[in-house]
Amino acid sequence: MTHTLEFGGELLELHPWGVLYWKRESLLIVSDVHFGKVTHFRKYGAAVPQKALERNFIRMDCLLQDFRPARVCFLGDLFHSHLNREWDLFSQWAVGCPAALELVLGNHDILSPTRYEALGIRCGESFREGPFLFTHYPMDAFEGFNIAGHIHPAVRLKGPGKERLRLPCFFIRGRQLIVPAFGAFTGSHVLEPRKGDRAFALAGEAVIALDEAAPGRP
Amino acid sequence: MKEGEKPGLEALVGQAKQWFRSQGWEPFPFQEQTWQAFLQGKHGLLNAPTGSGKTYALWFPILLHYLREFPDARERPRPGLKAIWVTPLRALSQEIRQSAERITADLEIPFSVGIRTGDTPQPERARQRKSMPDLLITTPESLQLLLATPGYPKLFNSCYAVVVDEWHELLGSKRGVQMELGLSRMKSVCPALRIWGISATIGNLEQAREVLLGPGSEALQNSTLIRARLNKKITVKSLLPDRMETFPWRGHLGLHLLEAVMPILRESKTTLIFTNTRSQCEIWFQKLLEHHPELAGEIAMHHGSIDKDTRLWVEQAIRRESLRAVVCTSSLDLGVDFAPVETVVQIGGPKGVARFLQRAGRSGHRPGKESRIYFLPTHAIELVEAAALQRTVEGEGVEDRIPYLNSFDVLAQYLTTLAVSDGFLPEETYREVAQTFCFQAMTRDQWEWLLNFLVLGSQSLQTYDEYKKVERLGNGILKVTNRGVAMRHRFQIGTIVGDTDLVVRYQKGGYIGTIEEWFISQLQQGDVFTFAGRNLEFIRIREMQALVRNTSKKSGKVPSWMGGRLTLSAQMSQLLREELYSASLPPEQQSEEIRALAPLFEWQRSESIVPGPGEFLIETFKTREGCHHLFYPFEGRFVHEAMASLLSYRISLLSPITFSLAYNDYGFELLSDQEVDIGLVLDNDLLSPLYLADDLQKSLNATEMARRKFRDIAVISGLVFTGYPNKGIKMKHLQSNSQLLFEVFRDCEPDHLLFQQAFSETFEHQLEEGRLRQALERIATQEVVWKACESPTPFSFPIITDRLREKLSSEKLADRIRRMTRALTRPKKR
Repeated sequence: MTHTLEFGGELLELHPWGVLYWKRESLLIVSDVHFGKVTHFRKYGAAVPQKALERNFIRMDCLLQDFRPARVCFLGDLFHSHLNREWDLFSQWAVGCPAALELVLGNHDILSPTRYEALGIRCGESFREGPFLFTHYPMDAFEGFNIAGHIHPAVRLKGPGKERLRLPCFFIRGRQLIVPAFGAFTGSHVLEPRKGDRAFALAGEAVIALDEAAPGRP
Repeated sequence: MKEGEKPGLEALVGQAKQWFRSQGWEPFPFQEQTWQAFLQGKHGLLNAPTGSGKTYALWFPILLHYLREFPDARERPRPGLKAIWVTPLRALSQEIRQSAERITADLEIPFSVGIRTGDTPQPERARQRKSMPDLLITTPESLQLLLATPGYPKLFNSCYAVVVDEWHELLGSKRGVQMELGLSRMKSVCPALRIWGISATIGNLEQAREVLLGPGSEALQNSTLIRARLNKKITVKSLLPDRMETFPWRGHLGLHLLEAVMPILRESKTTLIFTNTRSQCEIWFQKLLEHHPELAGEIAMHHGSIDKDTRLWVEQAIRRESLRAVVCTSSLDLGVDFAPVETVVQIGGPKGVARFLQRAGRSGHRPGKESRIYFLPTHAIELVEAAALQRTVEGEGVEDRIPYLNSFDVLAQYLTTLAVSDGFLPEETYREVAQTFCFQAMTRDQWEWLLNFLVLGSQSLQTYDEYKKVERLGNGILKVTNRGVAMRHRFQIGTIVGDTDLVVRYQKGGYIGTIEEWFISQLQQGDVFTFAGRNLEFIRIREMQALVRNTSKKSGKVPSWMGGRLTLSAQMSQLLREELYSASLPPEQQSEEIRALAPLFEWQRSESIVPGPGEFLIETFKTREGCHHLFYPFEGRFVHEAMASLLSYRISLLSPITFSLAYNDYGFELLSDQEVDIGLVLDNDLLSPLYLADDLQKSLNATEMARRKFRDIAVISGLVFTGYPNKGIKMKHLQSNSQLLFEVFRDCEPDHLLFQQAFSETFEHQLEEGRLRQALERIATQEVVWKACESPTPFSFPIITDRLREKLSSEKLADRIRRMTRALTRPKKR
């Protein structure tokens, strides 16, 4: 169940797996997948379940089928580390992918961009499209509207009876939208919302808009 | 005696007796019994308290056996390791060495004594590997590390004795499992091995012997249990406030009675002040100095996070009688023989009988001397605990230590250890492991699963996978060939306990101690906290180190350590209930403590009742925080945790509701924004012991508890790597969070054995399912008294102010979020 949001004068669909779909441009926006991370850990003797790795691919395929986007834009940290065999899986997937692929390079993308380009993936430090500036790091100063990743945002909710909950989220502050991490083995970072911030929590199979009032401490 | 003839048993024992006489002592019967049994080739368990001369009971026969085997040993010492003495605390190793060396010197036996613990410097370790001392004093972790040394069977081959000191401390922990596994290997590589344990009094001594030696093993058949039976006189005295009205209802510091401690300090030569947590220890030390600056230089502090050199200095100072008092934690619970300690003060409930007796035994630490212990309650209800403790020293009632079963995380670590050294043959190791207590019920499938986990990192081989840890060599041996894997594993072996620790260090250099990471993570630059008796300003974190500087600013925070939370044992709980029931007796039949509590009971009765033996009390009231529902089983924190979880789950089946749970040793609370109809709870028989296991399993709370258990499991089994604290080596790219991993397992591989283990540990060790069932059966025989109160009662106060809480909810996640945001945006009332 997606949640439709107006941002920068455009309609964006927020998907509960943490991806954005910009229907008018048929563009799927995915951040911080960290392909290769599971294999990196396994290579060094930490037995992270392989199914976590498979889940990333399975979910990507499901999204491609559901939205049938013309293009997919990754907001950085697409491949986690040095080359390992997960790269082969990724290459196969990228070659077979019906959509055009684009990558904004992130801090974990330490492989040479030529490798991505060889797979037909367009690489860049940032992309501008319509009102949006796509970057990996959230920008401090920019024109128009910034959509970025890197942070792995989450919110902490408090209810009466001292109830607490922590959920990954889409996070909007002013003209900036931060996309949650897609990868299955990536973790999250809690942001403290200020007045005027908006957060959209990923709650299982739904995206839930949290109110503009700060959901953190009063 | 003819040349080359082996001396007889009597002649050997005679040497030991002669040494005792030369000291003006007579050996105790238990000492002689132990000498005889050891020299007859038996294994065994010696039940003797600290300070009873237990070291001599086992150290003599080790030496005498050597003289028997090699009568010319004085002239021609034989090289090689002869005996290993395992102690759970590094702090004890010096003491043991001194006792041991005293006798070898007096008997003129060339028998070298070496120490190998986490504190032993690298060059010394290397020397030991080349040439082992005759007696090696070590910890369970360091013993494991020796098994990770290539060629270790040769090092161990000549060893004929292993003594596991303070076995009761290890028994109920995973370090005990580590020890069981280590012994299973030693049995094979040391042909002449005798295994001996030393344990303080616990409820299950027979089982302790079985765990040590292995159920159904040859060693167990040929073993004995020797009890010291020294009736040491212990006097307990509670420190009561002059006026009950000023006594706090909650709190765990006990500082209001600080002045009551002063006369005790003045009267005795050396006093040990035991606190339950390291933070409490820090605060007491600070406050004593603040109120009595004249004590400067005369008092010191001792706890597990303080720098080793400081700790050693404190221990030496106690022996030299140069300190008036030492504020300490369980770090001084064990072993070390501090003859000059005259008096012991216990601040706050010790939560267990064995622990209390052990601490009491610290004073008058010589056989036959009287032990005196003062009990300082930190809040009103703890006085009930004090009254109960009085009775424990009179009667018996010592708790069991429950050994772990199927700790696959420890087994995974152990197998990797063997793989790091010489490698292992699975069949041979299986036979050894299956004989231990912990793994006696392990199935063949589970074993195969574990091997796959080590070799493949999962249960099936994937072509693209690059998992690398243990490899299967051509000859069937499983071995680690990758140097990085081996190095990481060796670093990880010591970390069988708990939280990530950060080193606290001055910016200009200078090690102060270690603090749990979660405490440091709450600090901002410039924050001031108290640690190791100093006021420190936090600067920043660098490479697993917290950098600080001294400051004169007032302290805001005192670190606390999560490990410090204890619970009441079953035996203690029962004594506590009985004391409480005496509140309704005429004053002359009450203990001093219960009489002192009269004002509290009066207040409690004005709102509610003080339950009697046939009554089970439930209280409800509303505050700004929500609707409070309190239950008082008086069964100890862990049982309450489980009962709260169970009850809230069962209530949530009636209608969607979310609770936050709190508990202490006396009762538990369900807090909600909705009111629960207690009548409905009783009508539906929600406190029934029927379907207990099933309902517990389903209560969401178990997942939260399992998540916490998983943290240790992930570290021990090598699933996550904690980095090299203290070594300045960064491995950030391999550090991951066990919480994250827990979620990955939950979503992707819920049948994973280590994930499952987190749940079984939760049920067996955290929730204490067995005790919970007994408690529910008891409640079923009681009359339930439900009091709807106007305001919080004295009984409820310590519980409802507890900030460490658990949740349970039957509402859908999305509904919960919507409700939470609604509550937040509700306009404020004018």
